Amino acid sequence: MTALTMPGRPAHDARLRPVPWRRMAWVTWRQHRAALGGVAAFLGAFAVYLWLTGLRMHHAEAAYCHPAGSLGCAINFTGRYGETAIIVSIALQAVPALIGAFAGAPVLARELETGTFRYAWTQGIGRLRWTAGKLVPLAVAVTAVAGAFTVLFAWYNQPWAGAGYVTPFSARVFDLLGIAFGAWTLAAFAIGALAGMLIRRAVPAIAASLAAYAGLAFATALWLREHYITPLVTHSTNLPGSAWIISHWYTKDGKLVSQSAIRNILQGYDIHHPAPATRVGPNTSQTMILNPVGYLTKHGYTHWISYQPGSRFWPFQWIEGGWLLALSVLLIAATVWLVRRRAA
Amino acid sequence: MNVNIIETSGLGKRYGSTWVLRECSLAVPAGHVAALVGPNGAGKTTLLNLAVGLAAPTAGTVTVLGGLAAGSPAALDGIAFVAQDTPLYKNLSAAGMLHLTRNLNRRFDQPYAKARLGELGIPLNRRAGKLSGGQQAQLALTLALARRPRLLVLDEPVAMLDPLARHDFMALVLTAAADDGVSVLLSSHVLAELERVADYLILLSRGRVQVAGEVDDLIASHRVLTGPAAEADRYTERPLVHARRADAQAHLLVRATADDPVPPRWEAHPVGLEELAMAYLREPGAGALPGPARPAAGTSTRQR
Amino acid sequence: MVIDKGDGPAGGGAGASPAGGGLYSDQHLRVSDTEREAATGRLAEHFAAGRLDQAEFDDRVGRAMSARTRADLNGLFADLPETGSPAVPELPRGGGSTPGGGPRGPGSPIEFRLDAASGVPTYLQLVQQVEHALRLGYLTLGDQLPKVRDVVASLAINPNTVLKAYKELETKGLTAGRPGQGTFIQATLGQVALPELAGLHKSLLGWLTTAEAAGLDEDGIVALFASALRDFYKRRSGTGERRAARSGEAEGVA
Repeated sequence: MTALTMPGRPAHDARLRPVPWRRMAWVTWRQHRAALGGVAAFLGAFAVYLWLTGLRMHHAEAAYCHPAGSLGCAINFTGRYGETAIIVSIALQAVPALIGAFAGAPVLARELETGTFRYAWTQGIGRLRWTAGKLVPLAVAVTAVAGAFTVLFAWYNQPWAGAGYVTPFSARVFDLLGIAFGAWTLAAFAIGALAGMLIRRAVPAIAASLAAYAGLAFATALWLREHYITPLVTHSTNLPGSAWIISHWYTKDGKLVSQSAIRNILQGYDIHHPAPATRVGPNTSQTMILNPVGYLTKHGYTHWISYQPGSRFWPFQWIEGGWLLALSVLLIAATVWLVRRRAA
Repeated sequence: MNVNIIETSGLGKRYGSTWVLRECSLAVPAGHVAALVGPNGAGKTTLLNLAVGLAAPTAGTVTVLGGLAAGSPAALDGIAFVAQDTPLYKNLSAAGMLHLTRNLNRRFDQPYAKARLGELGIPLNRRAGKLSGGQQAQLALTLALARRPRLLVLDEPVAMLDPLARHDFMALVLTAAADDGVSVLLSSHVLAELERVADYLILLSRGRVQVAGEVDDLIASHRVLTGPAAEADRYTERPLVHARRADAQAHLLVRATADDPVPPRWEAHPVGLEELAMAYLREPGAGALPGPARPAAGTSTRQR
Repeated sequence: MVIDKGDGPAGGGAGASPAGGGLYSDQHLRVSDTEREAATGRLAEHFAAGRLDQAEFDDRVGRAMSARTRADLNGLFADLPETGSPAVPELPRGGGSTPGGGPRGPGSPIEFRLDAASGVPTYLQLVQQVEHALRLGYLTLGDQLPKVRDVVASLAINPNTVLKAYKELETKGLTAGRPGQGTFIQATLGQVALPELAGLHKSLLGWLTTAEAAGLDEDGIVALFASALRDFYKRRSGTGERRAARSGEAEGVA
């Protein structure tokens, strides 16, 4: 007997108003404030370091390096700070990976690992809004923080870039400048989120995210990036320091000469016809470095260089940022699709 | 309101190549406390997951709350689920969980939740991970009830609780059923306590529904006949569910009512829910199901 | 219910009377029909115990039914000892104490208990406890039964079970539900044919003597009686009390 009544509770709305987004924003903040705080602290520590070192670098550069190339500059600027700057820029390469892995992977992996998804995905908001309400704000937050950090790094890097010590295309700094740093962080986050959803355990997901990001970053730096725009080709030897030299080769009479043939020629040059004016040190390789081009050109070889001019820096940034953004959107969409599909 | 709180038709779920649930057809009316019973691995958790939208059917359909698709926003709104091992965010305090649940739902009765937690003696500022097992279960249940659902689904809610915690937990569930008319669907593999809690029984065995019906009807339609073992094999008057024999004496659990005649020299006794369920579990071929999927004016039991 | 079988309720027999005044205080007060019937019941117990013979019993019952004051009633019991378990409440409200020992506050005078191992269906246990309380005086006219919610909260049982029990009591005419207020006692038990009750008791004792002489022990007697009881009720037509709840269309078992 249905003796229990359904007392005066309002009949459920035919058109249910969804739970407002700001409520979900609170949820995301409350549950991930530790992760966000960690990211902020991590980058904050770096920022403090960059700020302090950067101030000294700027000071040294201003004091000693005008004119550039002086001995004082070499001692007080490049000698003192050069190695540090290189190490810092290499270390910063890892930052997007770490942020993405530690902020992105646990979002879903922890829920699946601990079983709390059985609570979260049966609440009134529904699993799709829940997922979107977590991934999107977090993605925006880490990207924004990374973007702000780029500004600081650009300032830090400015003494080196301005004087031409490092081309902005250099693999060491290209993805720390412009919009690339933010875009890489976003991509790392998206990789982390998808890895978390696929692997369903936080620690393996973090590891997988780092590995995937590293693979992508290396592939881009070593191979993909140079092909964004067809490089210019010239046989001028007078390229500015900001140009990014991609490769060079020799032709004779319109035909490409192989690298091994060039080597043979240069070896022959060394042994049989050492030109006194070109010998600087006892090391024969030193001889070759100083002017092989000149020698080969004199002997009828044409030297070609393919390069990207410095003016293409920003177009490259947009291209890289663009495809990273597209990839991120794709990966996050895939994550959401998996959430929708996943059976308990 | 003659609504079916959960209705399934040919429901099946396959994981890989194993069918965990097959051809389940149920129509559980609202306003009941329904117990989903069966041995481990029978498919209880799967059925509940399908009902609350955590899993999608491989075959058949499942609707809830009078025809809503399981997992739809309206269904999520009206159903509160407490999974096995009562998942909570261990790092959040009880108050934090309250806020969390409030922000994830349209409807949340915060004063009720705070009052209940106060009555239960659960401190609001202690982290959920530091509460005892019984307190965690009570917290999860309070959060679920504070959503004012029409259906409360519980997956083996008392399996890890000591007897006192079990009693308090079920008292809270049943009080909500009494006060607000919440329908309850709970799974258990402990039969003994279900008799006083449940008024609808679903017995799941090897992924199939073996028994489904109101407890009163089931009890009224079964008897145990005790009599001479020699005559036991010749008994054909009523369908036999399960027989237990010794040399001289036999007990036959049959589908009969109190009106049905008892053979001479035999005695008839009413059957308890536990005995009935156990008998069916021992006889996988037997079944006691109501007729069509839609609730008819009167239900008939027929043997499968 | 918080009673043990066989013991009198705490504070029962002696609690009502001041020393030396007999069972009823305020001797000059007029008595009601309820009190007269109560006295008759107690006389029946004494008769069943063998303290009075038939003639004395009839005489005293007659005097009880025509008694006017409490002194009249008390006089009937002057030479009779206190009985161990009063069959009916000793006083209506407004007099001494209740069997439970305290004044009646808000809420129900009784509490239910559940014997999970007894094999008796839960709702039937509740019905029996109410009837038992009525017989023993824990409940009287106008008392409220525990709220469904409170029963559920303290025993952790299905609310439908409580509702079923209360409905059964209503069907029996013992209770009536007042919407928004609760369920209240509207009739009492054991008021019907008290002299007959005494006679039945006596004939039952005779039967028991015969059964014992035939060689049955207590359990055997109980089993025989239970079996006969079942047979008796089965022979009654159609809607026995136990099947009141089932819908009429059930075609039984296929």
